[in-house]
Amino acid sequence: MPRFLHTADWQMGRSYSRFDTEDGAALVEARFQAIEKLAQLAKEHHCDAVLVAGDVFDAQTVSDRTIRRVFNATQGFAGPWVMLPGNHDAALAESVWTRALRLGAVPDNVHLALEPTLINLQPQGLAILCAPLMQRHTYGDLTDAFSGYDSAQGLIRVGLAHGSVQGLLSDDIDATNPIAADRAEASRLDYLALGDWHGTKQINPRTWYSGTPEPERFRNNDAGNALIVTVTEPGAVPEVIQIPTGRYQWHQWRETLSVESDLDQLLQRLQALPESSVLDLRLEGSITLAGEDRLLSALSVAEARFRSVRCERSGLQLEPTDDDIQALKADGYVGEVINTLRQQQQGDHSEAARDALAILAGLLKDQDQGANQ
Amino acid sequence: MKLHRMRVEQLRQFRKPFVLDNLQPGLNLIHGPNESGKSTLVRAIRAAFFERYRSTAVDDLRPWGDSAAAPTIELDFEHQDKPWRLTKSFLQRKRCDLTIGTDSYSEDDAEEKLSELMGYQYPKRGISKAEHWGIPGLLWVEQGTGQDLEQSVEHAGDHLKSALNSLVGEVASSGGDDVIEAVRAQRDSLLTGTGKPRGDYLQLDKDRIQHEQDIAELNDRITKYQEQVDRLGKLSQDFDRVEAERPWDDARRQLEQTRERHRQVVQLEQQQNQEKATLAQLQQNQRLLQQNRDHLESVSKQLAARKAELDKAEQALSLAEQQTPALTKGLGEAKAAYETAEKHLKLARLLETRGRLEQDVQRLEQRKQTLTQNLTKAREYQQQVDQARQQVRENRIDADQVKQLKKTEHQLAEETIRSRTIATRLSWQLEPGASLTLNQKLLQGQGEQQLLEESSLTIPGVGTLAITPGGGELASTRRRLTGLQQAFDEQSKALGVDSVEQAENRLAAFDSARRALTHAEELLKTVAPDSIDQLVAEHREVEGELQAATHQLQAMARPDKTSPVPAVVEAEAAFTSASQVLDKAEVDERRHQAELLTRKQARDSAKAEWQRLADEEQNPERQQQLKQLSADLTDIERQTTRLQASVDQRERDIRDARPDLLRQDIERYQNTINNLLQTQEARGRELRDIKVRLEAWGAEGLEEQLNEQQAELEQCSRRYQELHRRAQALDLLLTLLTEKRQALTRRLQAPLQKHLNHYLSVLFPQAKLEVDEHLRPGTFTRGAELGQMAELSFGAREQMGLISRLAYADLLLEAGRPTLVILDDTLVHSDQDRLEDMKRILFDAASRHQILLFTCHPEKWQDLGVPPVDIQALKEGAGGAAALT
Repeated sequence: MPRFLHTADWQMGRSYSRFDTEDGAALVEARFQAIEKLAQLAKEHHCDAVLVAGDVFDAQTVSDRTIRRVFNATQGFAGPWVMLPGNHDAALAESVWTRALRLGAVPDNVHLALEPTLINLQPQGLAILCAPLMQRHTYGDLTDAFSGYDSAQGLIRVGLAHGSVQGLLSDDIDATNPIAADRAEASRLDYLALGDWHGTKQINPRTWYSGTPEPERFRNNDAGNALIVTVTEPGAVPEVIQIPTGRYQWHQWRETLSVESDLDQLLQRLQALPESSVLDLRLEGSITLAGEDRLLSALSVAEARFRSVRCERSGLQLEPTDDDIQALKADGYVGEVINTLRQQQQGDHSEAARDALAILAGLLKDQDQGANQ
Repeated sequence: MKLHRMRVEQLRQFRKPFVLDNLQPGLNLIHGPNESGKSTLVRAIRAAFFERYRSTAVDDLRPWGDSAAAPTIELDFEHQDKPWRLTKSFLQRKRCDLTIGTDSYSEDDAEEKLSELMGYQYPKRGISKAEHWGIPGLLWVEQGTGQDLEQSVEHAGDHLKSALNSLVGEVASSGGDDVIEAVRAQRDSLLTGTGKPRGDYLQLDKDRIQHEQDIAELNDRITKYQEQVDRLGKLSQDFDRVEAERPWDDARRQLEQTRERHRQVVQLEQQQNQEKATLAQLQQNQRLLQQNRDHLESVSKQLAARKAELDKAEQALSLAEQQTPALTKGLGEAKAAYETAEKHLKLARLLETRGRLEQDVQRLEQRKQTLTQNLTKAREYQQQVDQARQQVRENRIDADQVKQLKKTEHQLAEETIRSRTIATRLSWQLEPGASLTLNQKLLQGQGEQQLLEESSLTIPGVGTLAITPGGGELASTRRRLTGLQQAFDEQSKALGVDSVEQAENRLAAFDSARRALTHAEELLKTVAPDSIDQLVAEHREVEGELQAATHQLQAMARPDKTSPVPAVVEAEAAFTSASQVLDKAEVDERRHQAELLTRKQARDSAKAEWQRLADEEQNPERQQQLKQLSADLTDIERQTTRLQASVDQRERDIRDARPDLLRQDIERYQNTINNLLQTQEARGRELRDIKVRLEAWGAEGLEEQLNEQQAELEQCSRRYQELHRRAQALDLLLTLLTEKRQALTRRLQAPLQKHLNHYLSVLFPQAKLEVDEHLRPGTFTRGAELGQMAELSFGAREQMGLISRLAYADLLLEAGRPTLVILDDTLVHSDQDRLEDMKRILFDAASRHQILLFTCHPEKWQDLGVPPVDIQALKEGAGGAAALT
């Protein structure tokens, strides 16, 4: 009763430009931990093998250190690993794989499917049909070849490929590297392990995208999982268990504030997020000076709590209430300036006016506090 | 605000209470001499307001030497229809009480009320200074500071503005300027004065560009890397394919085939060359044989030619021989003619010689005759010469000496005559026979004698008479006479004569003899020019010649006069002609002989040639040779034809095989093989190179670096954007704040300007004084004059200062603020005219404000229209409340 762990799209070597250096480093680190976690899972679930469906590396020329660390991270599982080159780490004449081999970084239990082949894992009862990408982009279905591979009697036929299943995924996925939707059936596969789509997705009972084990984008649906697949015997419908592996949850919120309660609601949601969150917040609408105070204070707390918080407020207008202005004690021409800035927020220089207003409010508040002290 | 009364006690020189009462709402002129307490009163008013009652720094208020004093000031004034009373004591009794209407305040409360009312601050500690004085500092002018307006306005600043705010209904913003300063500071940390980025902002921009460059560079390298990877893939494929196909083997086979064909052609070419050489040899041989045959055949032809030449020479010889007899005959004739002519010539010459000899004999005989005659004559003439010469010898006398003698004689005669004239003449006539002896000389008869010397005359029988001639010259005459006589004698003796006549006679004879000699000699010369001996010799010579000629003639044969003899000239001409003819004949003869010889030789050599050839022609060996040669030639021609055909055939074969193309083919195939191998080798090399290169590049982790760089760039950009936004916002904010503040200031300036213009028009009708943003009088214009107030003269500045202060007072009054004006000895630098104007201004201002004018020059101000208050008088009549009249 062969059982294996299906994963893909590790994208090792990627860094996170949108984050502060510290956060970016932590997110990179989390990806290495994800591999360790996969090894751990494979061990815990008594898997016979780990299949990685492409894009182990994010690029061909990652550093030697990254290469070594990736293979080091597999140590937790001593069974066979089969790694498939994807579009990011295609098996070119010179590739990250040839470098890894040259470095001597590849452990014996890790099989690199650098050319279209069938890897016989007889002891594990598995025949792995590999369709590696040999070029950066291909326009033909590499899995066509699977039909021609005859596996030994009694072995579970598992296809391993990287690309877009035709006609099923949304159009913004690369149209290159196509894979026929009925590949499993057409090539008599018990299971087709796919990579390239970063969220976990079932195409049909025998065809799955595992998704990336550690999320690295805000957009993906259901990223951060691994699949434990059990096929009782050749031809049997595989049993697929989805196990979360992600360290961080990525959230992207687009909110419009118009009334006071909108802010309350936002702050409550913020409060409810777990600490392992990566948050991207973009606020629009308007806010009072008092409201902005509360917001900034809440964001300050969130920054300390969460892995990363980024909040884009340039679209959020400051609408000081009379109370606000009263509180600022902005009399005379300073008061006039505040009014002018409030008006300009509606005009062409809205961003500058908004910022100017915030700065002025800050100064006046400081002044007031200084005076009170 | 109107001050009604002030009272001071225990304050400097006012130890006793002093009251200044009954102050008028308008102008008050308070005067007193120096030291009268005028300034003390001013100080008292200031202290009452500015100094804190509990201040310990007001010792100057204490009367001199009175440590127990409690300086006290009491002020009664009215403001906003309410009576205010302020009582303030310092030092020993520190108190402050203020009643406003019915309200009472004391201590600090009272002081707060006051400062609020007047608009000033208290010092935190110590004595109150100008910066605390606020509005009163502006309106209360201390002695000698009327011109320093700027400071006062600054100190009054906020009070003034807040006073003005209420006036124009604006709020100046409390602390607005601080905000501006804060905004400016923040903006300036990001932007330069001209709005360019600076500091971090600038650095970020630079960093961003740097990152972008780095990224571009990395991208470049990644692109290169990928290209190399692609190249590697392509190369590996090509390499493997070519290695399997081995296209060079095919080329090698073709090369071998072509080489074989080429070898065959080369062989053909060698054969061809050999045969061509053989052919050439044959042809050469043939040419030689032909030459031989031609040579042999040519001998017969030559023989005929030689024969013709021989005949021609024979003919020429016989022609010459025919001419010989004629020539010989001509020569004989010429010789005979020549001999005849020669005979004739000899004969003619003999005759001619003989004739000449006969003439010579004749001439010599004549000559001999002449010479004989001449000789006779010459001997005759010679005799004459000898005689004349004898004569000359005998009569020889010197003509000059004769002349000298004659002269001496003449002088002697003259001297004798002179002596007679002076001498004593003694004449006598003696009886006959009577004698006398004079100087022993006997005198008789009659006579006379001149006596020149003492003489003695003896008369016989009588005695002797001594006669001594007189006269002076007598002695000298006598001496001269003696001298002359001596000379005459000597000369005569020398000449050998006795007298002059004799001498002259001899001279005449001498001359005659000399002439005869000359004549004879000339005659001689005519016949014997040289000498007689010569003549004799000549004669002898002629005689000899004659003899010789005669002999010659006699020896000469007598010519035969029978045959005619031609003249010599004709004979000579005939001889010459004959000689020429003979010469020509001889030359012709010699030439003919030479010609003859030459032709004979020519004939001989032609004959020899002919003979040689004739012998050769007749040689049988030669006939044999000729026959052999013809046979050989025929044989060689046959061989040549055969060989030529073979060579031509082979030539065609070689041409058809195209050896040049074959060679090119060989080169082509060789190149192809080399190229194929080299290309493959190069491929292998490039493969290795690329692999090595990619290994090196791959180890750099380029894409990971790129990721990191991009992350940095994004952070940098983000930070830059933040700062950019902040800079924009700050710039906007600062602009707005500044604009608004300026707008406000302009609104505040207007009323002040109005009041300022009001006063200025009195002082300088054409002038303008503009108020700046700090509400200070700034630019001053008067006609073409333009400048700051600070640049005016001291007097003018003081006047400007005062009218500005009055303008502020007007402004404050409008705003409902208290406006007490205190002037301490002001306008001391103004001239009379200006002072007059200022008085009008003060009078006008006094209609709105209470003005206290302290002065020690009351006479200057007597036309102010108000009664002066004399402090001195008040003090003297004081003690209690002094009333003003």
